[in-house]
Amino acid sequence: MGAFDVSLPILLGFSAALCLLILLPLSWLVYYSVHDRTGGLTVANFVALATDPTFLDPLVTTVILALSSAVICCAVAAPMGWLVARTDMPLRRTVRALVTASFVTPPFLGAVAWELLAAPNSGLLNKLFRAVTGAEPDEHLFDIYTLPGLIFVISCYTFPYVFVLVANALDRMPGDLEDASSILGASAWTTARRVTVPLAMPALLAGALVAFLQAMTLFGSPAILALPAGFHTMTTKIWSLFQYPPKLELAAAASLPLLLLTVALLRAQAVILGRRGYSIVGGRQGDPRRVALGKWKWVALAATFLVLLNPVFLPYGALLNAAFSRVPSEFVSFENLTLHNIAFVFFELSSTGVAFRNTLILCTGAATIGTVTAVVIAYITSRKVIAWHQALGFLATAPVAVPGIVLGVGLFLTYTRPPFVLYGTLWILLIAFVTIALPAAYQQLQSAFRVVNPDLEEASRILGATRLGTLGRITAPLLRTSVIATWCFIFIGVIRELSAAIMLFTSDTKVISVLIFDLNESGDLGAIAVLGIIMLVFTFAVVVLINRIPGFGAMRLRNN
Amino acid sequence: MPDQNISRRTLLRASGIAAMSAFASPIRAAAPEPTAVTPALIEAARKEGKVVYYTPIDLPVAELIAKAFEAKYPGVSVRVERTGAERVFQRISQEYASNIHAVDVVNSSDAAHFIIWKRDGLLAPFVPEDVARHYAAEQKDPDGMFAAFRANLSVIGYNTRLVKAEDAPKSFADLLDPKWTGKIVKGHPGYSGTIMTATYEISRDIGWDFFEKLAKQRVMQVQSAADPPKKLGLGERAVMADGNEYVLFQVKESGGPVEAVYPGEGTPLSLSPNGLFKAAPNPNAARLFQCFCFSPECQELMVNRGAMRSLHAQIKEKPGRRPLGEIKLMKEDAAAVERLSEEIKARYTKIFRV
Amino acid sequence: MASVELRNLTKRYEKTAVVDDVSLRIEHGLLVCLLGPSGCGKTTTLRLIAGFVEPTAGEIVVGDRVLSSARRTLAPEARKMSMIFQSYALWPHMTVADNVAYGLTLRKLPREEIAKRVSAILTTTKLADLAARYPGELSGGQQQRVALARALIVEPETLLLDEPLSNLDANLREEMRFEVRRLHDAYRYTTVYVTHDQSEAMTTADLIAVMNAGKIEQVGAPEDIYARPRSEFVARFIGSSNVLKGKALDAGHITVAGIAVSCTGAGLAAGRDAAISIRQHEIHIDRAEPAGDRHNVLPAVVARNVFLGHSRDYMIEIGDGAQLRVVTSPEEDIVPGSKVWLRLPAQRCRVLES
Repeated sequence: MGAFDVSLPILLGFSAALCLLILLPLSWLVYYSVHDRTGGLTVANFVALATDPTFLDPLVTTVILALSSAVICCAVAAPMGWLVARTDMPLRRTVRALVTASFVTPPFLGAVAWELLAAPNSGLLNKLFRAVTGAEPDEHLFDIYTLPGLIFVISCYTFPYVFVLVANALDRMPGDLEDASSILGASAWTTARRVTVPLAMPALLAGALVAFLQAMTLFGSPAILALPAGFHTMTTKIWSLFQYPPKLELAAAASLPLLLLTVALLRAQAVILGRRGYSIVGGRQGDPRRVALGKWKWVALAATFLVLLNPVFLPYGALLNAAFSRVPSEFVSFENLTLHNIAFVFFELSSTGVAFRNTLILCTGAATIGTVTAVVIAYITSRKVIAWHQALGFLATAPVAVPGIVLGVGLFLTYTRPPFVLYGTLWILLIAFVTIALPAAYQQLQSAFRVVNPDLEEASRILGATRLGTLGRITAPLLRTSVIATWCFIFIGVIRELSAAIMLFTSDTKVISVLIFDLNESGDLGAIAVLGIIMLVFTFAVVVLINRIPGFGAMRLRNN
Repeated sequence: MPDQNISRRTLLRASGIAAMSAFASPIRAAAPEPTAVTPALIEAARKEGKVVYYTPIDLPVAELIAKAFEAKYPGVSVRVERTGAERVFQRISQEYASNIHAVDVVNSSDAAHFIIWKRDGLLAPFVPEDVARHYAAEQKDPDGMFAAFRANLSVIGYNTRLVKAEDAPKSFADLLDPKWTGKIVKGHPGYSGTIMTATYEISRDIGWDFFEKLAKQRVMQVQSAADPPKKLGLGERAVMADGNEYVLFQVKESGGPVEAVYPGEGTPLSLSPNGLFKAAPNPNAARLFQCFCFSPECQELMVNRGAMRSLHAQIKEKPGRRPLGEIKLMKEDAAAVERLSEEIKARYTKIFRV
Repeated sequence: MASVELRNLTKRYEKTAVVDDVSLRIEHGLLVCLLGPSGCGKTTTLRLIAGFVEPTAGEIVVGDRVLSSARRTLAPEARKMSMIFQSYALWPHMTVADNVAYGLTLRKLPREEIAKRVSAILTTTKLADLAARYPGELSGGQQQRVALARALIVEPETLLLDEPLSNLDANLREEMRFEVRRLHDAYRYTTVYVTHDQSEAMTTADLIAVMNAGKIEQVGAPEDIYARPRSEFVARFIGSSNVLKGKALDAGHITVAGIAVSCTGAGLAAGRDAAISIRQHEIHIDRAEPAGDRHNVLPAVVARNVFLGHSRDYMIEIGDGAQLRVVTSPEEDIVPGSKVWLRLPAQRCRVLES
């Protein structure tokens, strides 16, 4: 004892690294947006964007997309959340598991699967429709290559955010509040309407905002469905600006509105949730009481499963079908059953090995570095170790305001120039993935820290352990459950990340999500199906692992 | 010109007419000496162990070529990076701008790219023996930087289950018929080199208002020229306005209900060159691969199993396909494409809104 | 052998001084109690001594080393102190033995040595059977002893205790009070003990520092504080006292409710407001009006009478409306509303200084 205490320098080092991580790309983004090719300061980029209809149309489309998606998500997820959290509908745990499945499915994979299902002429559902109703070959029930089609697919994979927020809020609401209402004579319906719903409102609003932001910043699904449908969204437009010759300044300028809109909405969410006293005030609280649905429970269950058909059952079925079928748009039968697609992916496709290896390295690396960083930063902010810990906490959650593709652009601008030329290496992807994963990881661990009594750490320090020594011997073991859960969470998130990866990869640093995206360009749906199924299997294996950890119930879902 | 004598000279001339400006301008007095495959080259390639091939060739065919090479030269693995030619070009630009030299050999269906690369000094002069012996002067670069790997046609096509042969469109003008509204699929010049070249040629020979009218047909827009034939095969659309001929043939020859149509106004053509980069990370493997690509073995593979069109003098066309000499072709002009590509993309985007 | 000295120690949060200009010298080997109600600053003072909090002004000096000052504060891990927390802070993921051994493993002692010392102290604290158990499996008293063992095994110079007995039930608390004192006498370190319970302080401390609103009101041995409280606060806090307010007549007399009362203690300044204290059991109640000397006799009315078994607790109102609590033996039962006379022995009426 008595050796030089490296605790403070190390903690300061982490803080500095965090600042660089977040502020560098954003600074370059702003720099590029206000400079022209010759390096002079200008607002011409913004003027160009504001006056060119090929930029304004995508902006309008994006807003419509996000709004519709948010509304649909709320309309679907809120009742489902109520059914799962507050009623005696059977199979509630299964429903929760299926919603988790929706969440971990990458939206771009869902988009491809829905192409297989609902392309107007070749889609499996449309074929069924024609077979059953004898309709003309031209007629179709669904056309996925439309704006409503895109909204539908996006909603399928965004509604879990709303569901989780609403269900958790209702889970935590004690039954006393509703009992108090019934004692005074209110019917179950009235109680639901005048007590439960208003108390769940903040969660619903928060969910709606998250859904809006997610829908607004998605890249994969629009890139797959919007082009055939004949329109751009902001994200696909930004991507198209990188076509040769790249218009980096316009890309940077186009990214800023997305960024500002996100920040504004997050502020609005904080204000809405902050002002009113929606927390539960009072003494000891009772368990939530479940509403008895009677014979309606079967109707409710059927409706719920009908909803879950869309993100889970139908798409997964379509992918399985395409993986084993000679022609992806035909139902598997003895005649056209084939293992050719699997053979192609594993033995012929030369990028498969590289993509898998890179994905594994990046997932593991990002999960580990992200978790360690989040632990240290959460420690600093919850124990108030450094004077400016509040700013640090803000920085750690800041990336949530940066859409994936915007971050990709920022990182591209930052790391394709001296002094740090990281483009072409796995490092730039690692930086992107850690940055994207950090906010959710940080918040999870911060909540976990609050549960650990600071006395436990002080008892260690007074006996002679340094801060970092205490963190390692006492705090980290106590947080083990949360640490492992956070690690798995980041792992899953990185597997399916596309919007930043698509900007930053090169042939050597390709990952599975990008490989799937490239395969979609040339229409190799069978190979996509095989790769997609492997991705899902991997992801589910990790999810099962998390749920095996004792004491970790419903996953806290955030960020893409 | 419909009726032509199918003589070898005619064949050469037809393809030669098509192969113009990309191969026109020499910068040295003579091309480098042709190189045969020697054990020393094979050994050197094996030491490097791998070769990276950026190509827009449809993935199954590209991997076919790769596997054939690996079978012939064990110890040298091929990594195929496949995206549309315009995206290949973009990627290489991005990588070279950051000093990343990942690509060894490149193929592009937009010959203008080679004009740019050659001008920027990025290509390595190298002439495989086969190129020196069996390729006409109009099909290779006088300075030995690249040679035409294949003749790439963009054809009209239709799904035979959805369209009767007599109703099928026979020309670009036919595509504008209202009966095809909502039934057409086509590729995009922003991603595909084949489509970029075709768009230039059509705009030159028929005019831009063809595209303006085509846009009103509510076409399904896809990225790669390899996609429309597949969409036809799926039955997703009835007609394709453009797309790779060889992919269409492949779908047909594996039982798909598709048929090609060579438009009356002329079929857009691009001679898709193969070249090596000076800064290739695996130079010897690159040379070996380039030699292989132009070998009769590879070219025959491409013709028989890849349904492509070879310009190798010793390779015969596959029976059952209309010979190149019998098809009315639009003239290729890579220099013009190079000059106009940005404008073409911008105008296309404006018309089709994506 | 080092004393602990607090010199003008101040800690401010925003504008509030939670510890306000506290000065205290604790000779080595003493057990000092910081006694006061919640919010008086005693815990903050303890944490300042431990080094978990940095002072806004003032110093903490141990021996001749300045451990804490407004500019620099030595980290807790370097202070050679031990602390027992109100929550015990036993690490739930470590066994009793591991908890106790922690401090020694940090000091990198050889394993056999650690095992020996752990075994010894577990025997002393009667925890030998529980060495392999986890804290979650222990009772409150057992946990408290583990905390003690863990703190003592490192042989600190200074031991800090933060309300260590408040989570125990009454019987255990009494037993543990003596245990703490016994161990202190055996090991002879300096102990700073924070509590709000005056009987704990009286039982264990060599020196009591009564704190209120961030300041030390009085420091002294327990008998001293009890017998000679110098301020109203201390008088009320220690031993059950009544405080009577009035005006000073002269150095030794005070007028309370119109009656002259002679008192002991510090001299009074005539004409100023003054207060005296007298213990609840030191006041005599007379039913009949006493004849003769009316000095120190106050007429009053009984407001409340509560039978407590071994005593009776009266609330009695005197002429100026003030209410005094008087404790007597249970036999006399005076009904509420009765008129009585209270006799206040002069030597029991102590002048309060503040």
